This record gives sequence, structure tokens and C-alpha cells, in this order.
Amino acid sequence: MRESEVEAAIGMSRKWDAWEAGREVAETAIQQLKEPPSFFLLFSTIHYERYGGFQEFLDGVWDVLPVGTPLIGGTVAGFMNNYGCYSRGASALAVSYPSMDVAIGVGKNTKRNPYRAARQCAAMIQQTLKKSPYQNKFLLNFISGPVMPSIPGVGQKKYIRSGFVSKFATQVLGLSQATVQKGLGREDEIFEETSQQLPDYQMILGTSMDDYKGMRNYQFYNDKILKNAVVNLGLATNLDFNVCTTHGMKETDLRFKITKLGANNHAICKINDKPAVPELLKLLDWPEGFLTEETMLHTILYYPISLKRRGRQVPVVAPLIMKDYIFVPCIIDDGEVSILTVSGKDLINAVKENLDFFKQIQPEFGLCSTCMTILQTLGDKTNMIQEEIHKFFKDKAFLLFYSAGEGTFSSAKDITYANMSFNTAIFGNIKK
Amino acid sequence: MKDDPIAQVLDDLMRLDDILACMVARRNMISVMPSTEAFKPEVNPIWDNIHRAMDDVFGVIGAYSQIGLGEMEFRLQDYEVLFYVFPDTENALVAIVPALANKGLLEVEIENARREILKIMKKQEQEFQESKKDDAVVVNA
Repeated sequence: MRESEVEAAIGMSRKWDAWEAGREVAETAIQQLKEPPSFFLLFSTIHYERYGGFQEFLDGVWDVLPVGTPLIGGTVAGFMNNYGCYSRGASALAVSYPSMDVAIGVGKNTKRNPYRAARQCAAMIQQTLKKSPYQNKFLLNFISGPVMPSIPGVGQKKYIRSGFVSKFATQVLGLSQATVQKGLGREDEIFEETSQQLPDYQMILGTSMDDYKGMRNYQFYNDKILKNAVVNLGLATNLDFNVCTTHGMKETDLRFKITKLGANNHAICKINDKPAVPELLKLLDWPEGFLTEETMLHTILYYPISLKRRGRQVPVVAPLIMKDYIFVPCIIDDGEVSILTVSGKDLINAVKENLDFFKQIQPEFGLCSTCMTILQTLGDKTNMIQEEIHKFFKDKAFLLFYSAGEGTFSSAKDITYANMSFNTAIFGNIKK
Repeated sequence: MKDDPIAQVLDDLMRLDDILACMVARRNMISVMPSTEAFKPEVNPIWDNIHRAMDDVFGVIGAYSQIGLGEMEFRLQDYEVLFYVFPDTENALVAIVPALANKGLLEVEIENARREILKIMKKQEQEFQESKKDDAVVVNA
């Protein structure tokens, strides 16, 4: 009986005008449901900023969406759903199910004070769901992603060769994080704190982005547009579900020791007691000067590093290099680490491996967060991933969004935070 | 041109910042342009050279599309030219992008455009075949 009560629908718009797209994304989802939605997850690309703005976009959504529907979401680099894969437009997941309690939460100033924002947001979820009779608890932790500060005379660059500028830029990065909230997303810190606040929840982490440029991003909370915020969707339900992370990255025999960290443990300053960048180039057998603004995209992203944080493996890519420092997107610990490698085929196999984890579940709907670097790497071949996921869900709704920092948490498996990873939360019923 | 559904798909592509020009073309012929018929100005100084190189690439596409050539690309100075071939034909959707553009994200939308254009072409072909059948019926009657 339970299965038949679950209604899940994907909304979709490819219109350019913000208000019309908002209206269409809500309308295409709602018209597939017999009952009003229990919640509405909304993701859009950054394009509407210039075609009416995000307030217009949300106004369009609320022109259709029943008043009081819990809504969260934000801007993403792209998305994938039952219809295809897109790096422009808007998509939504609307779910209606009577045996499910829903809460949404918000925390602000994530880049300045991530722990406070995480606690604020988690408390809102806890407060609403603490009396729920349902034991299975889920949380989507959706956080404002990184925003590159523009360094005077340099602009927004991924690679800075000059030692003088790098020293200056490192200081600017720290300062801009605290003052104008431009810098790393600090989603790893927020996720860590949220998992400590809500340990009985299974969680999926995603981050808000623009079109891969890292210049701005927005979060949606009901009818409000926010910046530098964390928004949560909490569910308590009798539906079965699980979360899973896979990444397909393989260890190489290239190992090294991080001997000095900097920038609040976000920068690798020394490897094997030598300046980090020349030593990394030597290990990879790459010539000096090989890394440039242009080659970074095609080289270092294919060689992630398996770092460590509190005993956990954290595979990440280096998004920023300043002279001899390698910046990483999360807080890390020093010690022995190894270089990883990944190919397009490995990425697609990671999706298959992930879905295989759910073979006992008859899916009703699913939510996935994936690294936007995968979208950038695979390009139109991303459709191969869409075909795999579509084969798994068949006519059941799924929505995948592209992030810049993603992961999952469950008390059984602890935190899995990784770049280039594929993260799923699949809801349904365990097959008998 | 404004009512041509294929031109409208190209218009959508042209709205993306890093699509500097796009068209449906074959060797020595541009079949459909965006309805505004305007490329972004940065392409203009190098357009003649790109156009000449495109024609050479179409020679390769013509030779190999029947055996599954799906995509080609070349880089000329600071630009990349991407060819998304329509299966089993000598035609391709062509897009010119800056060499340092976030190509992966653009490729997703170029592929979506190719799929949409293919649908339009199939529909137009179907309508053409049906009208031919109707004409034959009239002649026979």
C-alpha cells in the first residue's frame, strides 16, 4: 500500500525569461502530482541572473506552487534528470507523501562563521522534526560554494606564478573570507558540524555554484534569495532509503609526505620538506613551468590527491595554485598521502558501482550530488551517466545536481567528503 | 529565417556567453544561421581563416560520417571550432568557442542542440514524405 502513496515528479524549464522559467519549472512538476507537494527542491543555472533575476524566478515558482510548500535549492553548474543532462535551465523535484514530516532550515554567513551557520540551520530541523513518529531521517545539506576573490592587478585566477603576488594573494584570501565572504565554501566544516548536531540523520551534501567560474552563487529558501547561506531539507519518514558515495579514483604508487600546511590547513606548503609545487611536479615527472592557467584544467584535475582529515580519506583536486603552495578545498591534516588518477571510464564505473549499492531498494525517487568537474571533464559524454541512472530509475523521478564539494554522511559510514565523487540518496522500499 | 525552428535552436545557443558563433553547415555551404545572422564581434577578424579550415574539416566529415564519425574539433589561434556531426550525413552543427572556455559545460548544451535539431529534421522529413504521398494520391486519382 505504501508504495502507491508516494508521488514524485520532476519539473523542468529551458525558458530564458526568469519569471516564465520559474512558473514552468513549478507547473511541470505540480501537474504530475494528485496531491500538493510535501516539499519542493529547486535548482537552476546562473543564467537567470541576467534574464530577469532570481527574485523574478522565485516569484514565477510561487505563482504556481501551493502556499506553504517547503522549498529550498539554489544555483548549480548543471543538472540531470529523467529528461536529460543540462548546463542551462531549471529543474525541480516535487514529492508528495503523507507518511513524511518535512522541515527546512537556514543558516547565514557561512564563509565567515561556518560553525554558527551549521548549528543555526540544524537546530531548525531538529526543532521541527523532534516529535515526528518516523524513525528514518534524511537531510540535504546545501551550502553556498566557493567564490574566488578578485585579487587587485591579477583578477580571478587558478594559477599564480609570482611569489610576491602569491604571498599577497594568500593574505587577501584570508581577509576576504572574513570581511566580504569571498573565498572557499567551507562546506566541509559545515557538513562536519551538521553531522555532529544531527547524528541520527543520513545526509547528502551539495554546494551552490555558478557556471564553473566561481564568481557568485545563490541559495533559495522559500521565497527568499540568499548568498553565503546553508539551507537544509530534513525529512522523517517510514520510507526506506540509504546514501552512498563512490568516486572511481585509483591510488597510484606516487606517495609523499605533507610536511607543512598553511592558510588554516587549506594549503599544502611543503612536501617531503621541500616547496610543494616543484616537488609535486617532480613526483609527476612534469617539467618545471608545465602548470599554467590553461593547462591546469587538462592536467592536475586528472591527478587528485588522497588527503586525510581526522583519519578519513579525502580525495580532492587542487583548484588553486599560488607559486609553491597547493590550495585544497577543505581542511586537511598533514602526513603520508598518495596521488590518485581517474579516467572518464572510471567515472562512469563509479556511477554503476554506486547504483549497485541500492539493488535491494525498489526506488520511488532519488537525489544525487556530483562534482561539477565531472561535468566539465565528460562534457556531452555525461549523457552516458544519465542513461545509466535512467535505466535504474526507469519512470521514477530522479534529480542530480552538479556541485563544487559534495559528500554523504551516515552514522554507519561516517562522513565521506570527496571531489570528483558521485553521491546518491535513494528512497523507496526494500525489495522482498 | 525567424520562423525556422532550427534557427531558433541556434539562437538559444548564441545566448550562451562563450558561444561566439554557431551554424548548421556542410562543405562549402552554411545551411542555417541563427535568426539574427550575427556572430559575436570577436570572431569577425578571424572568420575567413576559420571558414577555410572548416571546409577542409568537412572533407574529413564527408569521408567518415558514414562509418560513425560523430565529433571533430580544431583549434585556430585563440578559438576552438567544434563539429557535432548529424549521423550518416555530411552536415554538422558547428560552434566556435574561446580556447579557454569551460568547454565541458558548453558541450552539454551543444549536444542538446544537436539532438533538438535532429528531431526537427526528422519531423520535417516525415512531413515531406507525407506530402509526397498525398501528391501521389492526387495524381493517381
